[in-house]
Amino acid sequence: MLVLGPLGFLTPWLLAALAALPVIWLILRVMPPSPKVLRFPGTRLLIGLKDPQPVARHTPWWLLLLRVLAIAALILGFAGPIWKPAPEQGGQGPLLIVMDAGWAAAPDWPQRQARALRALDRTSASGQPAALLLADGHSEGALPFAPATELAAQLRAFQPAAWETRYPEDLDRLFGQTPQSGLQVLWLSDGLDHPGRTALLTNLRGRGTVTVVPPEGPRQSLQLVAGDQPSLRLRSTASGAAPDVLAIGTDPQGAARELARLTAEDAQIENGISTRAVAIDLPSELRNRITRFQLDGQDSAGAVVLADDSVRRRKVALVGDDRASEGQSLLSPLHYLRRALAPRTDLIEGGLSDVLQAAPDVIVLADLVGLPESDALTEWVDQGGLLIRFAGPRMAASEFLTEEPLLPVRLRSGGRDIGGALSWGDPRTIAPFPVDGPFGGLAIPADAMIRAQLLAEPSPELAQRTLAQLSDGTPLVTREDLGEGQVVLFHSSANAEWSNLAISGLFVQMLDRLVQTARASAAPPETEAEGDIFWTPVEVLDGFGRLSTSQDPVPVPAAEFAKGPAPGAPAGLYRSGERAIALNAGGPMREATWPGVTVEAARRAPGIDLRGWLIGLAALLFALDALGSAWLAGGPIRRGKVAA
Amino acid sequence: MTASPADLRARAEAASAGLPALMLSAERLAASLTAGLHGKRRAGMGEDFWQYRPAAPGDTARSIDWRRSARSDGQFVRDREAEMAQSAVIWVSSAAGMEFSGGPDRPSKRARTDLLALALGMALLEGGERVALAGQPPRPGRLQAERIADALVRREVLTRDDDAPASDILRPGQRLIMIDDFLGDPAPMLDFLDRAAAAGVQGAALQVLDPDEEGFPYGGAVLFRSASGALSHDTRDASGLREAYLARLADRRASLSRAALNAGWHFGTHDTGAPPAQALLWLWSVLEG
Repeated sequence: MLVLGPLGFLTPWLLAALAALPVIWLILRVMPPSPKVLRFPGTRLLIGLKDPQPVARHTPWWLLLLRVLAIAALILGFAGPIWKPAPEQGGQGPLLIVMDAGWAAAPDWPQRQARALRALDRTSASGQPAALLLADGHSEGALPFAPATELAAQLRAFQPAAWETRYPEDLDRLFGQTPQSGLQVLWLSDGLDHPGRTALLTNLRGRGTVTVVPPEGPRQSLQLVAGDQPSLRLRSTASGAAPDVLAIGTDPQGAARELARLTAEDAQIENGISTRAVAIDLPSELRNRITRFQLDGQDSAGAVVLADDSVRRRKVALVGDDRASEGQSLLSPLHYLRRALAPRTDLIEGGLSDVLQAAPDVIVLADLVGLPESDALTEWVDQGGLLIRFAGPRMAASEFLTEEPLLPVRLRSGGRDIGGALSWGDPRTIAPFPVDGPFGGLAIPADAMIRAQLLAEPSPELAQRTLAQLSDGTPLVTREDLGEGQVVLFHSSANAEWSNLAISGLFVQMLDRLVQTARASAAPPETEAEGDIFWTPVEVLDGFGRLSTSQDPVPVPAAEFAKGPAPGAPAGLYRSGERAIALNAGGPMREATWPGVTVEAARRAPGIDLRGWLIGLAALLFALDALGSAWLAGGPIRRGKVAA
Repeated sequence: MTASPADLRARAEAASAGLPALMLSAERLAASLTAGLHGKRRAGMGEDFWQYRPAAPGDTARSIDWRRSARSDGQFVRDREAEMAQSAVIWVSSAAGMEFSGGPDRPSKRARTDLLALALGMALLEGGERVALAGQPPRPGRLQAERIADALVRREVLTRDDDAPASDILRPGQRLIMIDDFLGDPAPMLDFLDRAAAAGVQGAALQVLDPDEEGFPYGGAVLFRSASGALSHDTRDASGLREAYLARLADRRASLSRAALNAGWHFGTHDTGAPPAQALLWLWSVLEG
């Protein structure tokens, strides 16, 4: 940039065209204006007359001046004039650009790129080397310094990541080739505090001057608050009005569109971060269609929450004989089921034919045999329903147990008592769940004991159909796919009569996992997930919150996965076996503070751009010129004025 | 030309209001047979007494003036002075250039020409003459003024630069008044004057010009075009052409004036910047003398 007094020029070489102005003046001067056409009856008398003295007629001086001024205004305008341009930092050392590259940097990424490119331009003009530290957690090894022009391509190609900004941890190794002093640091911050920022800042301040460019506009993130009633949490660095949350999903025609618009509640402000709760108060039919929540107008991975099955609420029908235990609710199998399922699902109770009308996602049959509506039930399962059956004394006593339809395995009639007064063995514990099954990763309480069960007839498919088994290898939970649906049998009872499973927390978790597999095979994220589970990305978000199919799916160990989005595990939809969960980027935010460094004033006008004004002025002058020429050619002629 | 006949007539009446009745000078035109108001200083059909003469065979008894005959023995016949109507034909140019007007404060040459033609025609009709525009039969009476005004207004403007009267409008004994700018091709006009002289037709030619045409107040680069666009002249310094133009205009006038003199005609000029009464008085005096 060339600065002349208060005026700066972005492309000063264009000013060389001003040298051509005198030539243009001369050319315009000898180009005569077009003659005026006059109807004159006496033209016959003029035929053959010669001009007495060929006068070299010139364009009038004021017209010339107008044209030359217009051209000069055009040249000046295209030279990019800026009135009082923002003063450039006058440092002369090598340049280090630190770019926060997490999702929080995505909304104004083009402006950041432009700012960094401008700094690179200036550095390349002064011949100093430059380095680029992209804080996306990928940088390793010593930071190389290179001519600034080589970094521009890298900078242009780089996209923000779908996780939080991450600074390198090993600063000594990072700055191995970095000068100890005289360094010009330009830090394009995303406005948020991230681990390691203070250490990095301290280190950099010791090496030179640090200039921080704060982001334009507030940062906002969206987070799913899991629980019985999942809701969203909207955090913002600004206390102003919050944007709406768009619930996007497929409509009945299968096209993705905005299904609902959720409004945030009042904000609670803490340390400059305003937090708002956004309730997902939608009918379950609508809610179960939602695939993602998104902050309106924020292009950032942190403003997107991918909805997995934890957002959905299943409609579960409980069918059982509740009468026998009237007044003894603790003995009723339905009581435990109700307590386990009610927080996370919509429960329906009633007779089987009644609940089938309500088209539930899951039907739980507690100790029922010989159902008269088994045809309708079979059809419902065949179309994708999940039928969960529990064994019990009534089933054990049934004479027609071998002919009972809708059981995953053939059962032996008569139960098996373990650890009773008349039996030899002790109550059995539950064997660890297979990691690829629906119960994979669940912790088994040591005191969970099974005292009675229904035994399955040995068959080749038994092992394949077993989801959980006891420590002696007999099945506890079996499952069979039937059409699009499945039938699950708990070989023990749903109350505390046969086992204490029903009064353990494991029972709730197992039921949750099973219910989540209904129709869509998915499971809620389990922070306590342990073991050898690997999550494979199916669809991943980029930093701008756009979803795309994972091109290079690298399985992520569950332990890494639990820590949230990271360089190896971008936010997105992950799958393990038949469970699928979403990993979302948005989370708690903390505003960054910058003690002792220069912070560029946010949104400071970088001078007044005069280009538009000058080009407008040129257009006006040309219009005046056209008017003047028209006046010369057609207006009244007074002697002596035209031949000026 | 947007004026209606009634409008033109009203203005023409205003212009000719102050004129006394016009009588054409009594040149004898032997072949004219039509009776009119001019005494022919010979016996013939007429109102006024001319002479008594002895009755000759062929005179009817009714033609004998018995009062004069009673004072002597012979029979006398009372002759009356023969009276003949003078007829005048007005020719106005329809050339495209006649629409020219050099400024908004001046009428076009055609407007002025029409006004003069009608005013003259009305003055002549007032004097009892037979008047017509060229190509129409001359008739007397006030109604003829209406016809003249109508014909003037309805006259189509030619797309040519030149307009000259057809030679078949020449009638011996008629007087012809030509009003034109005489800026077209001069040859047909000179030829016509020769023919008119040969046919014994006398009259007057009035050149009507715009002040711009007489003064040539132009300068700078001008592309001059004739009214029809057929002729054009490009100059880069119009003011330098003024002298030459004025000289050519004077030449044109001199040659027309000479030709008119040779044919026994009168040649006058009029510019539209001047009041029309001047031209009318000139025409009047010329026709009277």
